[in-house]
Amino acid sequence: MATKSLTYENAMKRLEQIVSQIENNELNIDQLSTSLKEAQELITFCKGKLYETDTEIKKMLESFQEKEN
Amino acid sequence: MEALSLYELNNLVRCRLEDTFVDEYWVQAELSDVRSNATGHCYLELIEKDERSNSLIARARAMIWNSTYRLLRPYFEQETGQAFVSGLKVLVRVTVTFHELYGYSLTIVDIDPSYTLGDMARRRREILRQLEEEGVLTLNKELDMPLLPRKIAVISSATAAGYGDFCNQLAGNPYGYVFYPVLFPAMMQGDRIEETIISALNRIYEHQDFWDVVVIIRGGGATSDLSGFDSYLLAANCAQFPLPVITGIGHERDDTVIDAVAHTRVKTPTAAAEYLIARMHDADLALCEQNDRLLQGVSLKLEREKQRLERNSSRLPLLFSGYRIREEKKLSGFEHRMQTALHARIMERRYKMEQLLQRIPFLLSSRIEKEKHHLQLLEQQIQASSPEKLLKRGYSITLKDGKALTDASQVKPGDHIVTRVLHGEIKSIVE
Repeated sequence: MATKSLTYENAMKRLEQIVSQIENNELNIDQLSTSLKEAQELITFCKGKLYETDTEIKKMLESFQEKEN
Repeated sequence: MEALSLYELNNLVRCRLEDTFVDEYWVQAELSDVRSNATGHCYLELIEKDERSNSLIARARAMIWNSTYRLLRPYFEQETGQAFVSGLKVLVRVTVTFHELYGYSLTIVDIDPSYTLGDMARRRREILRQLEEEGVLTLNKELDMPLLPRKIAVISSATAAGYGDFCNQLAGNPYGYVFYPVLFPAMMQGDRIEETIISALNRIYEHQDFWDVVVIIRGGGATSDLSGFDSYLLAANCAQFPLPVITGIGHERDDTVIDAVAHTRVKTPTAAAEYLIARMHDADLALCEQNDRLLQGVSLKLEREKQRLERNSSRLPLLFSGYRIREEKKLSGFEHRMQTALHARIMERRYKMEQLLQRIPFLLSSRIEKEKHHLQLLEQQIQASSPEKLLKRGYSITLKDGKALTDASQVKPGDHIVTRVLHGEIKSIVE
């Protein structure tokens, strides 16, 4: 999973896709574990965006703040 | 002619004027240069501009006594939601006065706020109509609000309470979401609203890819001058800004033009923060829902697979016995059919053979008859062509040197010839 360029919106879209595939019984039992792993990674990524401070963003913010003050 | 002193002249003008303008008059005008001093009296100018050229066509000094101003100003501001400041169009009741020292002036005794309200609304409508004609009115509203509005460019006044409220509200959100607000300072009242907000927007625009959303907020509380937000230029900038704009400029009554073009309009800075928190919470709930559905989906799938396995394994013996019976049936069917076919084949052959056997004596005897007949014919032919039969009838054969003569030229005189008849031979010499 290329987390570098992954956005929250795309992660959610992919997650929704996996969930609907599972719900619509489109995956066989072998594909299921792979998809489940991917889905859990996506959820972790999304939770991170909601709850964890991003140091790179923090740095950008400080540079903006300095300019404005 | 006796000259008058200036005072005497002004006094004459005053007497004449006060005689002529005894009533109170309702006057439409624009406020200008409004100020009040320590005594509580309000001094201002009433002006009128030409509608097309915008140049001044009339001006009059005016004042409001403190006793009147104390009542009039709160009344006006409460009714209009608008501070009593320069630039407003007003309908005021005045008396005309003339003072020898201060000259011509009007004294304001009453005001009709509904006129100002109407004028402000008309101005807003005009700006909105212009934006609509230019096709930009709803551009900001058409932008998608990001699922996570975390990086927030805040346009506000650094000193105003509103910005503090906003940041506190965000930081204290009960879910622990992370926000990144940065203040881009601007004047949020007075006549530099337009200029400073547009400048802040331009600074945000430089890093538009970084920001998720723009929030324009100012603390509410006392009524103050909001007419600066009813600006065409500011509204046009906001409407066409590439990021969604949220306004919370603390105006309870009417939407300003900037509120009308913003992506989302809320009343206060706190409400703006709540909106953003709610947006994050929506995303959070959507994520939780996906998570739940994922778990449910997976366990359902596993349950289904288990059932499928059980179903198949329990059906297997039954299926197998059914299969065996079917196959056995098929096999015995084959056997039976083969026997029948074989039997039929044998019977057929036997019948054919019998037929043949029956025909053999007939065929044999008919062949014998045919051969017998043929022999008789041959015999008759042979008998018919035998020389003895001819000799009997009187024919003879002449031979020379044992060979039958058929031509007279075959002999010459003196040759010995033999003529054979039925009984015996005649020897002769040819003459």
